[in-house]
Amino acid sequence: MTVKIWNFFPRQALYECYQCARCTGSCPALEVAPALGPRETILKCLNLGHDQVVEDERLWVCCTCNVCEDRCPQKIPISDLLVALRNSAARRGNIPDKLGIAIELLAKTGRSMIVHQLDEMRAHHGLEPLLPVPIDEIREIFKKTRLDEVIEF
Amino acid sequence: MKYALYLGCAIPIKYPGFEAATRKVCERLNIDLVDLPFACCPPPTSLKMVHYDSWLALAALNLCLAEEQGLDVMTLCSGCVNTLKEANHTLKKSDSKRRKINRILEEQNHHYKGTIEVTHILDVLYQDTVIERLIKEKVRDIPVKIGCHYGCHYFRPPKIMYPEELSESESYVPVRMDHLLSIIGMEPTEYSRKFLCCGSPLGANADQDAGYAIVKEKLRHIREREIEALSVICPSCFEQFDMGQIALSRKFKDLVKVPTFYLTQLIGLSLGMSPKEVGTDVHRVKSKKLLESIGIS
Repeated sequence: MTVKIWNFFPRQALYECYQCARCTGSCPALEVAPALGPRETILKCLNLGHDQVVEDERLWVCCTCNVCEDRCPQKIPISDLLVALRNSAARRGNIPDKLGIAIELLAKTGRSMIVHQLDEMRAHHGLEPLLPVPIDEIREIFKKTRLDEVIEF
Repeated sequence: MKYALYLGCAIPIKYPGFEAATRKVCERLNIDLVDLPFACCPPPTSLKMVHYDSWLALAALNLCLAEEQGLDVMTLCSGCVNTLKEANHTLKKSDSKRRKINRILEEQNHHYKGTIEVTHILDVLYQDTVIERLIKEKVRDIPVKIGCHYGCHYFRPPKIMYPEELSESESYVPVRMDHLLSIIGMEPTEYSRKFLCCGSPLGANADQDAGYAIVKEKLRHIREREIEALSVICPSCFEQFDMGQIALSRKFKDLVKVPTFYLTQLIGLSLGMSPKEVGTDVHRVKSKKLLESIGIS
């Protein structure tokens, strides 16, 4: 099942973009890596349709810093668009390996860090052991939200 | 003043020193903290990008845990505050999303009502009563030229994070950490790219070297202003600067390293705590020399 991305993002907002590239000029990721960049992402959504964009691995080369949206003179909710596109991409199997592993850990343990010899390390700083997370509840919630359709856990 | 302490994952697991410093500082400043069995926030940089509904549902569970105790949430991380504030905002505003999430949560005996607020330790410390107490309790100044790095998710998008602070052009530039540090005798110094990303999410999700390239560029501007140390309010930003400088110095031998502190460590030092008490002894980029030069050991 694909995600209907226009439920997340008002499609007509794409037409507000006049391709000034202030977003892309501000993008810290694009400066150091082969990112798609917000301007090109919007243009491709308009010209080729989002189906083509979500196949592109470069969609994930992003800091999620929201500077693009911050500086957009047309106030296009670019970060909502990027969340929608990536949710759709992940569903089609376009997701970086590192990120997939991180989500699997989160779904299995309720935390995004591996807990290893933690009590000792916390004691060094005079801290009590960390409270356990309600992992059964979390797994039930993720089953209900159908996370397993995207990431096996 | 009482909050549910939302630790997140990175601080209690990777940087417990920040937690220790925070707890001690809050005790001295009369801020009561309550521990609850919170789960991962989850991060705006990971689960939200992959599965929005799961992101919103887990955030809602965390909000419920605090709401059931009638407590506002205080976070220690720019990522956690972004997730929990945005989820709180979205669930309060959208009847349909709240209904959908509550159908899921009710099977686990939770019900999100939308009666609490989410805040960050920086904003808690920035309140008048806390600052008055800090001025009274402070035993020493920390005369160091400091560069503040806020972390993008702490204040972006401002329409959700700080709607009441928006200028006419609907932009917002944070200043609270700079102000707070000047109260403990530090010299907050502006630098180019101050409000741009540290590179952490790029490193975590896509390309570690590209993430460190962003740090390198930021450091160039930081050293240009002869800044002696950095202050952050996010464990991911901290790791990016602390580990990042170690990784970069293997490649670039002449790299001059700048020690990085978590905000409450600096506040703790000004309250008379030792570097070990606030946990700076385990940082990779050492601050011993810098602190000794101003008589703190």
